[in-house]
Amino acid sequence: MYSAAIDLLGRPFAGMAPARRKALGLIVLAALLLLFPLYHNNDADIDAMANAGAFVTLALGLNIVVGFAGLLDLGYAAFFAIGVYYYGIFTAYQVMPEWHSWWAPFAAVGLVEKINQGGPDLVHFTLSFWIALPTAGLVAAFFGVLFGAPTLRLRGDYLAIVTLGFGEIVPIVFRNVDSVTNGAAGLNGVKPPQLFGFDFGVDATPYYYVCVFLVALLVYVSIQLRDGRVGRAWMAIREDETAASAMGVDLVKYKLLAFAIGAAFAGMTGVFYVAKLQTATPDMFNFNVSAMLLVMVVLGGMGSVWGVVLGAFLLQILQSWLLPELNHVLHGIGNLVGNGFLQQIDLTESIQLIFGLILVFMMLFRRDGLIPAARKTPPLNMTQQTAMVQRGGFVGMEKIGRWEKRAGNALEIKGVTVKFGGLVALNKVDLVVPEGGVVAVIGPNGSGKSTLFNVITGLVPADSGSIRFQGAEILGLAPHKILEKGVARTFQNIRLFPNLTVLENVLIGQHARLKTGAAGAVLQLPSMRAEEKRARQWAVDIAALFGNRLSPRLAQTVFGLSYANRRRVEIARALASRPHILLLDEPTAGMNPNETLELAEQIKSLHELGLTILLIEHKLDVVTRLADNVVVLDHGEKIAEGPADEVRQNEEVLRAYLGRAGRAHAAAVAQAAAVDAGGASNA
Amino acid sequence: MTLTDVILQQVINGLSLGAMYALLALGFTLVYGILELINFSHFNVFMVGSFIAMYVLQAFGLSGQTTILTGLPLVGVLVAAFAVTMLACGAIGVGIERFLLRPLRAVKGPAAMILTIGVSYVLFNLVILGSGADSKNFPNPLPALQWPIGGAVLRLREVLIWAVSLLLMGGLTYFVGYTKLGKAMRATAQDPEAARMMGVEVDRVIMTAFFLGAALAGAGGLIFGLYYNFTSFIIGFNAGLRAFTAAVLGGIGNVPGAMLGGLMIGLIEAFSGAFIATAWSDVIIFSILVLVLVFRPAGLLGRVAPNKS
Repeated sequence: MYSAAIDLLGRPFAGMAPARRKALGLIVLAALLLLFPLYHNNDADIDAMANAGAFVTLALGLNIVVGFAGLLDLGYAAFFAIGVYYYGIFTAYQVMPEWHSWWAPFAAVGLVEKINQGGPDLVHFTLSFWIALPTAGLVAAFFGVLFGAPTLRLRGDYLAIVTLGFGEIVPIVFRNVDSVTNGAAGLNGVKPPQLFGFDFGVDATPYYYVCVFLVALLVYVSIQLRDGRVGRAWMAIREDETAASAMGVDLVKYKLLAFAIGAAFAGMTGVFYVAKLQTATPDMFNFNVSAMLLVMVVLGGMGSVWGVVLGAFLLQILQSWLLPELNHVLHGIGNLVGNGFLQQIDLTESIQLIFGLILVFMMLFRRDGLIPAARKTPPLNMTQQTAMVQRGGFVGMEKIGRWEKRAGNALEIKGVTVKFGGLVALNKVDLVVPEGGVVAVIGPNGSGKSTLFNVITGLVPADSGSIRFQGAEILGLAPHKILEKGVARTFQNIRLFPNLTVLENVLIGQHARLKTGAAGAVLQLPSMRAEEKRARQWAVDIAALFGNRLSPRLAQTVFGLSYANRRRVEIARALASRPHILLLDEPTAGMNPNETLELAEQIKSLHELGLTILLIEHKLDVVTRLADNVVVLDHGEKIAEGPADEVRQNEEVLRAYLGRAGRAHAAAVAQAAAVDAGGASNA
Repeated sequence: MTLTDVILQQVINGLSLGAMYALLALGFTLVYGILELINFSHFNVFMVGSFIAMYVLQAFGLSGQTTILTGLPLVGVLVAAFAVTMLACGAIGVGIERFLLRPLRAVKGPAAMILTIGVSYVLFNLVILGSGADSKNFPNPLPALQWPIGGAVLRLREVLIWAVSLLLMGGLTYFVGYTKLGKAMRATAQDPEAARMMGVEVDRVIMTAFFLGAALAGAGGLIFGLYYNFTSFIIGFNAGLRAFTAAVLGGIGNVPGAMLGGLMIGLIEAFSGAFIATAWSDVIIFSILVLVLVFRPAGLLGRVAPNKS
């Protein structure tokens, strides 16, 4: 609806700046919605619009959980039910304890009233709609955390089934505790809202305006969250949980936050919905509701705010207006041609069939939805695409400053052992990286190099040993805590966030260095805006280190980048976190000799600025060029250590790499490599 | 009835329900073991199976509980009904795999699972459109034979359910454990890429898993009809969720685990119905699901697999 309207309306305003066009479009949309009850004075249609709005807000909430954070929640209607029953129970004539004098203060502020239905005086709860609306958000958020907490450790697909279970349990509980909820018969006499003495009653128009307000509020909240630090953290979790936590995102906190905020949307909608309907039964919240909301999100585009608004609105209009209209038409045709089937047909009965077909077709043919969340970027022109091999290290390094030089060791690893079942991946490994030094880890495939990185960054637990970073033990800390302390890494098999842009990937690297939380993002405090602006500038500066490799591609998704550029983005992402030590896992793998040389010199220039580096690398010329010290692993054990030239003459090392028979040959190869490397550094 | 009799009776009931859930759980486990996909269409393949079985029995001139068969005619009708239902459901399973899921196999994320939810919805609504939303009287030709065991009662239908389930589960265990295709299936579940390189036709293996799973769901659908004497478009949801819980409880991807889990869920349902309240059975079963997933995600018989990243 939005983007189509913008396209259409925007054409005469082609000369305007995009931001102003967007603002104008929003104003026109807002005016159309606000004036709707005036130019279309039909109570049933206004009512249908208000209902559609309620489903728009529900779908927006589900979008936070499913679309932003990638947590497939199939029981989302439970939170809607919680909002409904929260307001319902505290206004209907269902729960009425006996009056006692200590209720008096509550009566004074209007939360309860004393009534008498013959017999003793009773308490009737009279919670105000305007208090219930925000507090229902809090109540539902509480249950969101409660239901979310046990599912945190689960894989995505298990999460779906557990949430499905919760979605079933909640309405069953409401049905079974009938003294509180009146069971299957449902709540009756839920109080309509009142404003300054005006009772909303059953007229649709006032509800419509509350609904427009709610939709506008939740669209705004969704967009602010999406475009800031919180939204980026969610999307990082959606794209790659392991990489997200290695880049400083606290998985537990952000998953629970997504559950809580998503649930809050549903809770608030529940209050609105029940106040409007004034009755509620447990059947209103079965799996079909959760599934329908999922269909809305899928149709509009998972993670796309305006797409979800459109998807929910279209499906609601389809149900409440289009299908009944079509029924009329078909019945008319049936009467005309005397066809009994057409005369009787009721398309609204097939609505779920349509939902099912939408899910199937969208998944097969348009997985990104009607309005995809990922923006299309124009292709680069030839000049932008031409990248020259850049020599002599990074450019523009003055912008990132120097690392403070400290004494002692940055990283001290002592006796670290890691076992996977019967396999000993690391056996009592010791390793020291001095402050400002460059240490390389080499060894045959399967010798435990990447496991070493994983155990340092907290992705793999150690069975014994100690890892101290700047004197403090980091073994046993969560990956995001280790990043916060200043240990950043890249991955051997590149773990970027594929559907996010280069800029967003680099911004996520800064997650731990920024402060903006959900509240800050929604309120748009000046300090938060300044922080976001600084963060973006920092990301641009970091990307610019690589010359024109990354800078022209900031707005492209990393999915489509070349292999070498993806490696560069990963290094930029790690650098963005302002690490004190950088762990590079085969940074030049898959690069041609020129690119390898370029990157080696860039790493060297970082070292010259004072950054401490631990490097896994197979290319011995790179190792020789960079490392002060080389550690050789084989079968999880350290078999040699020393300067590169010494290590490659080491008997143990040659045997590990080439076996006994290949020793003589290996010596010759090593000799040749040394000559090569020497020649290259003289060049 | 004494307490012992009640317990005995609930064991009989629970084992019958459990056998049905086990058959259904096997389908989840076979597919999950290979594709790591929760196949929601399985819920309603089961339901469609019970409708197909009903139509097959009606085609033999049976309706309601009025026509009682004995001896060879009974055996013949039942064998034919099981065979047709299982083949038809197997074909549906294969069709879903071949035409809808295979194009999505390379797609990461929840797309395939969302698609199966859609397929489930479509099956569900096609049945409503085709045969109405009322529940159907399921033809039951079994004679009302029953044997008292203490104060409890063992009926012919329960013996039949156990016998059929044992036969099918035994057959599946043999297939997976001892046939060439079964071994290929286990290899594919461990590592599809390596299996492909060793010459396993992975596409065929996946199709077989869908066929077997859906065929067993069909058998489950027939058993549901014989056990409850009715069928309806809504039976897939609850039975499917319970069977999935059973598969998880036993250790998803693990064939004996699915059988054990199915029996346990059947017993839990029977006992919670008798000793607590039927209204709370679902809450109890789903709570078990959550607890198992949280505290022992690999299930009772499953091993914690090394990370496949």
